[in-house]
Amino acid sequence: METNIKSKTLDEFKTITGTMINPAVQEWKDNGGKVIGYFCCNIPDEVMTAAGILPLRLRGTGSTGTELSDAFYSSINCSFPRHVFNMALNHEFDILDGLIVPNSCDHIRRIYDNWLRQLDIGFLEMFNLPRKVEEPQVQWYKDEVHLLVEKLEKQFGVEITEEKLKNAIKLHNENRRLLKQIYELRKVDNPPITGGQMIAVIVAGTAIPRDKYNEMLKELLEDLKGAEGIKDHRARLMVLGGILDDPEYMDILEDQGGLVVTDSICFGTRLFWTEVSEEGDPYEAIARYQIQQRPTCPRSYGDQPKRAQYLLDMIKEFKVDGVIGERLLFCDSWVVEHYMNDQDLKEAGVPFLKLDREYILSGKGQLRTRVQAFLEMLGGK
Amino acid sequence: MIVGGCDIGSTTGKAVIMKDGEIIASTIIPSTTKPEETARMAMDEALKQADLSSIDDLDYIVGTGYGRLKVQFAKENISEISCHARGAHWMSPTVRTVVDIGGQDCKVMSISDEGKVVEFVMNDRCAAGTGRFFEGMARVLHCGLDGISSLENQGAEPSTITSQCSVFAESEVVTLINEGSDLKNIIAGINNSVSGRLNSMVRKVGLVEDVALTGGCAKNAGLAKALEKHLKVSVKQLPHDPQIAGAVGAALIAVEKAAG
Ligand SMILES: Nc1ncnc2c1ncn2[C@@H]1O[C@H](COP(=O)(O)OP(=O)(O)OP(=O)(O)O)[C@@H](O)[C@H]1O
Ligand SMILES: [Mg+2]
Repeated sequence: METNIKSKTLDEFKTITGTMINPAVQEWKDNGGKVIGYFCCNIPDEVMTAAGILPLRLRGTGSTGTELSDAFYSSINCSFPRHVFNMALNHEFDILDGLIVPNSCDHIRRIYDNWLRQLDIGFLEMFNLPRKVEEPQVQWYKDEVHLLVEKLEKQFGVEITEEKLKNAIKLHNENRRLLKQIYELRKVDNPPITGGQMIAVIVAGTAIPRDKYNEMLKELLEDLKGAEGIKDHRARLMVLGGILDDPEYMDILEDQGGLVVTDSICFGTRLFWTEVSEEGDPYEAIARYQIQQRPTCPRSYGDQPKRAQYLLDMIKEFKVDGVIGERLLFCDSWVVEHYMNDQDLKEAGVPFLKLDREYILSGKGQLRTRVQAFLEMLGGK
Repeated sequence: MIVGGCDIGSTTGKAVIMKDGEIIASTIIPSTTKPEETARMAMDEALKQADLSSIDDLDYIVGTGYGRLKVQFAKENISEISCHARGAHWMSPTVRTVVDIGGQDCKVMSISDEGKVVEFVMNDRCAAGTGRFFEGMARVLHCGLDGISSLENQGAEPSTITSQCSVFAESEVVTLINEGSDLKNIIAGINNSVSGRLNSMVRKVGLVEDVALTGGCAKNAGLAKALEKHLKVSVKQLPHDPQIAGAVGAALIAVEKAAG
């Protein structure tokens, strides 16, 4: 895929995404700042920003194996927590002042239990997410946010006022709006940015202070507006799935000539497609956003039809020719979802390719064969 | 027009030369650790067979298989999934479902009446149900691949082999041997277990007749027989060597490419 965009900001995003503890995190620490690690899209990272703490979404980037963590997991556990926990056991996350783990799935929630037993950390919190998406669950999530605020205030001696929370919401909403503006540029016939580049931009945003991120996004937008569009792609693709944070994986999909123009992944549109209300009680606003307004992942119950519609809407908005559904092996949330997506997409006449993968990229040969065959199929070759 | 197709698989390299819609040469050689050389060797042999003095006599060459990017004399590369579909369809135009069982992968394609792929599935990174699997079994049974293929060796009461992993399946077979099970029943059990796996792959794309087997393992008669039982339909016999279907498909695509 040929992109001729020259952007220093984009290169910076790539560097940040390519490592777990990037220079901005180190700098933050060196200046006396606190850093809290977390997982998934469903932790209210605005709360950390409001507390003046840097929220750092943990990944297994750079992990080369799981020999330390395997002792604490079974052979049917997802490779994501295994790699992350291996890095933790290897003291690669010692920089953290705290960790918040959601019960997103049974694999991830066990990171909490294992961390509690095996490692020392000043602040370790389980964020208990509901499954359903109705009024009582909004209230439940709101209670969890209150609980988190109280605990953070006590542990770090800070005061998280409603005012601060509202300001954090505004700042994070600006992140969301800017990212959406970039996606707008991907709707055209010749988008200026590849899927591999885009994922680097999004991942980086979960690893640096959000005000700095906004500034960088603005610079990138300027660079993109001046860039020539990509012309040599033979199909427009959407990627659908879970914890995908690796630009190289996207690059392999795109090396075969398909251009990724949109997605529904954990480091993708589900993070920013809608905004948190800036009106009224900020606790209520965050809870409603997380439970009812944000595009959800298949961990939540009762809103599958809404998720299915989101996929179809995306396809239409971004003129998608084919969808690639990726899933981490042993991910029980995504497995049946993809079968439903398959049925829906058949009905809609949109080709769908299902791919299983390990968290750290492997089996590139098979991956290339599958993707190339899929594109040949789209092109009727 | 003279065209070439070169399929560099994980286990063997295949080259086919076609002239005016007919196969005039085909070769199968073991893959080496240098895909460029495997391709060169397979094609040189095919050129000799076709009585051609140089590769420049070919109007267009398409490469396919794992080593498709390393076929240096090919003008284009196409995935083996598309190529096996095309090749099987050319060999027998009524085929709508193609099961390619190679040395390391198995793939099932559902194809259109023009031989184009409509949907496909591929095994995960595991050798169960591929050439590697059969070779491992032949080793522990000391019977050779022919022993596993031979219709005489398909016992009437296939042993049960449940493991989906080729390494564990092998240890299941070792256990059966040590329990004194009849060897023919074990062989039938092996073909049976692979057929079960292939059947579920076929169901994923949807079973539409005719069904044909391609790839080297298509020559395993015992497997074909067991698969027929699982699918409950008969498997179409192809009039050419099923192992070269991918290379044939590549050559057919070369014809199209040459025409522009
Ligand atoms: N006569 C035969 N009977 C049974 N099996 C056979 C026979 N001849 C070849 N095979 C099997 O065919 C396999 C090779 O098939 P093929 O040439 O289609 O593989 P490949 O294309 O190199 O592999 P892949 O497609 O997985 O990359 C060998 O592993 C062997 O087990
Ligand atoms: Mg092959």
